[in-house]
Amino acid sequence: MKKKTPMARLGRAVIFIVLVALALTFLYPLFFMFSNSLKTLGGYYRDPFGLPKEALEWNNFFIMIRQFKIFKLFGNTLIVSLATVIGLIVFGVPASYAFSKVRFPGGDALYFAILATLFIPVQVTIIPMYVTFAKLKLVDNFFSVILANWAAFLPETIMLMTAMFKSIPNALLEAAEIDGCNYLQRLLHIIVPMGRPAISLTVIIFFINSWNDLFTPMILLKSTEKRTVIVALSSLVGRYSGDPPFQYAGLLLSAIPALIIYIIFQKRIIDGMSMGAVK
Amino acid sequence: MAQKETDKKTGSGTGKLARNQRICAVLSVIPAALIIASVKAWPIIQTVWHSFTNWDGLYKNDFVGLANYRTFISTGLFSKLLGNSLFLLISVPAQVLIGILVAVLLYEKTAGWKAFRSIYYIPQIISLVILGYLFKSMFSQNGPINQILMLLGFIKTPVEWLAKGTTALPVLTICITWYSVGWQVIMILGGMSSIDPQVFEAAKIDGANFFTRIFKIIIPMISSTLTYCVVMSVVWTFTSLFSLIYSMTNGGPGYETMTLDYMVYARSFLKGDQFGFACAVAVVLLIIVMIITFINLRISKAAEKEWG
Repeated sequence: MKKKTPMARLGRAVIFIVLVALALTFLYPLFFMFSNSLKTLGGYYRDPFGLPKEALEWNNFFIMIRQFKIFKLFGNTLIVSLATVIGLIVFGVPASYAFSKVRFPGGDALYFAILATLFIPVQVTIIPMYVTFAKLKLVDNFFSVILANWAAFLPETIMLMTAMFKSIPNALLEAAEIDGCNYLQRLLHIIVPMGRPAISLTVIIFFINSWNDLFTPMILLKSTEKRTVIVALSSLVGRYSGDPPFQYAGLLLSAIPALIIYIIFQKRIIDGMSMGAVK
Repeated sequence: MAQKETDKKTGSGTGKLARNQRICAVLSVIPAALIIASVKAWPIIQTVWHSFTNWDGLYKNDFVGLANYRTFISTGLFSKLLGNSLFLLISVPAQVLIGILVAVLLYEKTAGWKAFRSIYYIPQIISLVILGYLFKSMFSQNGPINQILMLLGFIKTPVEWLAKGTTALPVLTICITWYSVGWQVIMILGGMSSIDPQVFEAAKIDGANFFTRIFKIIIPMISSTLTYCVVMSVVWTFTSLFSLIYSMTNGGPGYETMTLDYMVYARSFLKGDQFGFACAVAVVLLIIVMIITFINLRISKAAEKEWG
């Protein structure tokens, strides 16, 4: 090994500083929201960048919780997001098992057809979907958003899971068959435990996606009590444009649940995402 | 070409067991297939049909042929929106290049590279609505960007970045690039993890400098990952900017930052009566997406052939 020259050491230092600077640009928005949500309106206009200089103004958060009922909104969003991912698992896992491990008539064609809809955004389908849901009295019902989310996310779920289930060794499935496991038992006792990385990645990613979504819940949920937190937030920001600290308190609070999930599962998310790219 | 062991499927053959298997398989795909067929495929067909009508959501629903498409094109709206999207696509090479640079720096075992990787991915976890409002205040008249640029002497008076056509779209492009770099880094690092580390060591010992290593070794070796990154980013730029545009510019000023997906909303749910026209815009978006899907399929087929 060559000894590190001063030049090489300088190069390392420069690289490190560049990476830190880049990291700061990603952390700054979180800091900006947090420090400004604790300022009075006057304090914000005097200095929007620094730390709060006066006494901390926690009131913005109290108003968010008491008057704006942000926990109720969290509850709504939780119902939609949880039901979305539960459905993705219940419908996605068996379908992906069949596509990855069983040869059945029309299987390949169906898989191809599902993948063909992968990139089609909800804007292409929303107008007829809305009209149909209105006829079925499903508008302003969580189920309409959940159903729309299932249709939007199932193709990607199936693509991800089918790819990962393919790598489960057939020998395991054959051994289980010889031991007398039927189709459902093989699904539950071999595919589900062996496919855990794909299944948990689906749950985490699409939970966060549904939590953060604006368009579908904004169109399909109309009444104030039914709205998800992001939809409520976007109308709040418009109404309170004169009170940025209050806006930042709301923006920060609504980002926190997804951030907590990320902090807990970041390794799983990052490993899973990069596995998808290697294929 | 030998089939991999794990690619083998059960269910072929004529025995009772195999038949049972096939029935079970059909039953397991039915629920997912029904949902996609009824809540995705069928609405697509309806959208295509309604794009040929003057549907207003209530009373009018007459066949008008290609009138909606003709209006969309002859008013110059189509080329305006397509132009906007093409401009926003400048972000894609920017993201990928920055992503490669950062990934390589991290790959060469910078201290704490895992922490950096996790931080760079943070924007992807936060709703684009939240980020959009933050961008808006960053670029506002008294926002940090103006203050910093004035401090550094680049501008004399504050610029209204998002209110001017000439600056709104470039600002949006910068925000998209910032948002996407973390995703690119994760994907590219994933691709690089499949390269033998000895290749890098050998190149370093041979005296290949940083940029030679990137362009002569890394980029060719992860070309399939990069293709995936580019395709996904292009699709994303056409289909997933609604939240950002809604919170930052509402498509304005005028149509300066309007994209096809936002236009569908603007002409249907926002103003509420041009459902037929909005469907035509949606169909144009659908056609663009299907073209990209087709190209993507051709690329991955070609890659499969090459790699076996």
